[in-house]
Parts: sequence; structure tokens; C-alpha cells
Amino acid sequence: MTLQDINMLDGIIFSLLTITLYQVFSWLQQRWQFIWLNPVMLTILLIVPYLVFTNISYAHYRQSTLLLNSLLEPAVVALGYPLYQQLKQIKRYWKPLLFILALGVIIVISVSFILTMLIIHRPEIAIALSLKSVTTPIGIALTEQLSGDSSITPFAIMIAGFSGALLGPIWLKFINVRSDIAVGLSIGSASHVIGSIVLSRDNPQQGAYSSVALIVSAVLTAFIIPLLVPILLLLFN
Amino acid sequence: MKNSVYTAVAICFCLAIGKLVHHVLGGLPASLYGMILYCLLLQLTWLNPQRVNLANQWIIKHMGVCFVPPAVGVINHFDLIKTHGFALVSIIVITTFILLTFVGVLAEKYLTHANESPPFSH
Repeated sequence: MTLQDINMLDGIIFSLLTITLYQVFSWLQQRWQFIWLNPVMLTILLIVPYLVFTNISYAHYRQSTLLLNSLLEPAVVALGYPLYQQLKQIKRYWKPLLFILALGVIIVISVSFILTMLIIHRPEIAIALSLKSVTTPIGIALTEQLSGDSSITPFAIMIAGFSGALLGPIWLKFINVRSDIAVGLSIGSASHVIGSIVLSRDNPQQGAYSSVALIVSAVLTAFIIPLLVPILLLLFN
Repeated sequence: MKNSVYTAVAICFCLAIGKLVHHVLGGLPASLYGMILYCLLLQLTWLNPQRVNLANQWIIKHMGVCFVPPAVGVINHFDLIKTHGFALVSIIVITTFILLTFVGVLAEKYLTHANESPPFSH
């Protein structure tokens, strides 16, 4: 076998391994409906130790799964369909909605970026953390666009998702935010798809609002962050 | 089957145009230009929403598997997690709750009624 054949073979093996693990965990999650049975998280939790113990470098794994990686871009394009579906819903109140969500995006990016720079002093990590409220495919695309560290982004996004989805509803009740629209929008904008799934189970109306917020916030972030990050970086020069 | 091909071609077309726009203008990532174009073509019904519905749902349901390869890169960050893991998680959780509070309070104040009786239609 030539070197190229071996690389091809590795490509097939690693891609199949990743897809199979992911499918098994998705199936388990569908069966048991536990939100923490997150297939992305669990697949990573198995692949990372496997690579460590077999001494396979990340560069090699990444090279071998380029095919999966190249599907990220069409996946982002596919999000145009839910965006289209939400456009009809938000027609009536799009002005205040855009205003509130855009302000929220600016605040969350600025605070995350500044805190991370103050504590960890690494811009590539600060960029990854400031994209933690965005849905994962768009978060990864924007992180790479801004030369952030896209291996941190999915974790940051998942932590934001779980913390907001599980504790968010209790917190919102405590600060007296009770209407379906307010609960849905705030959890959708902070905890994206994970928040949306949790809300939809108990209250479909809140779930619908949260999917409006998650898709609109992601688009707003895409427009805002390339302008905001250079300004924030100036603060630390 | 026909509709899946239709959806795949539509998405690839939008992505190709997105790449072109990104090449000329820069700014957003190519895939986001593609997403906005895809949404626009559906809105204008140049693309048939009914025909993309099922295949598109399938893509969104399964797209998570594409997040795995970039995320496995965390393997190169054990040192960062050891020294700053607690700070990282705290920053994420704190800013998540800042955003929750901000959007929740403003939406409760300004959008609760907007939704019941549309005040913005003149």
C-alpha cells in the first residue's frame, strides 16, 4: 500500500467511527430524551481518550475527517430554511425584537471578550468565548473567520446551552420574567438550540420564540462581531 | 429522492454564490452569505419551500456530527483547561446569565404587548 492509500483508509475509518458513535448517541438520546445525553459531547468524550491512548495526533485525525468538516458549510446554508420560516412570525414586531437582540449580542460579546482578555490574555480564546451564545455551525464559522480557536467554541457553546437551558427558567421566574415571549427569546438568544429543545418540551409557544431568537441572534452576531472585535482588541494593545 | 437532490443542488448553488461574494466583498463567512441567499430565494419562492422541507429537516437533525472534528481539537488544550478551566466555565456561565437577564427583562417590558396587539402595523 502506498502512503496515500493508508491516508484514504484512515479517512474512511475515522469518519465512520465518528459517524457511528454520533448515531448511537443520537439514538440513545431520542430513546431516553435526556438532554445531557448530548451526542456531540459524548462522541468527543470517547474520541479524545481514544486518540490520547493510541497516540494519534489531532492533526492526523482532523486531516482524516476533512470530509465531515467540509459538510459544515452546507449545514450553515441549510439554516436559511428555519430563518425563512421565522421571518413570517417576526413580521409584526421585528423592530423592537431586532433592537433588543442586537443590544444583547453587543453586550454579551463585549463582556465575554473583556473578561477573557483580563483573566487569560489570549485573543483567540476570547473570540471563541464571545461566540458562545450562537448556534454551533455559525459559531465555528465565525471563530475561524476571526482567527479564533475553533476547538474551544463548541465547548463554550455547550456550556452556555446547558447552564441557560437548565437553570435559566428558574432564574427568569425569580426576576419576574414570565411571559412566553420574554422567556422564549431570552433563553433562545443565550442558550440557542439546547435551550430551544428544553423549552419546546414543556411549552411549545416558548420553544417557537426561542427558535426565532436563536436564528436572528446568530445572524446579528455575524454582522456585529467582525466590527466589534477589532475595537475590543484596541483596548488591550 | 427527487426533492433531496433539489435541496442539495439548491444549497450547493447558494454556497457557491456565497463563496463568490465572500471572495469579492470579504466580511461574512461564505457559508453565511449562502444562508442569507438561501433564505431570500425561499422567501421569493424562486426555491420551493415545500420541496426542501423534508431534506432540510434531515440535514439540521444530523448536522451535529460535523461539529465533532473541530471540537476534538480540545485535545491540544489540556494545559489551558488545567490552569484556566474554572475561569473559562465561570466566564461562560456568568455572561450567559447576563444575556438571559438583559433580553428577558427588556422583552418582558417592551414585547409582551407587541405580540398580543400589533402596535407596529401602521
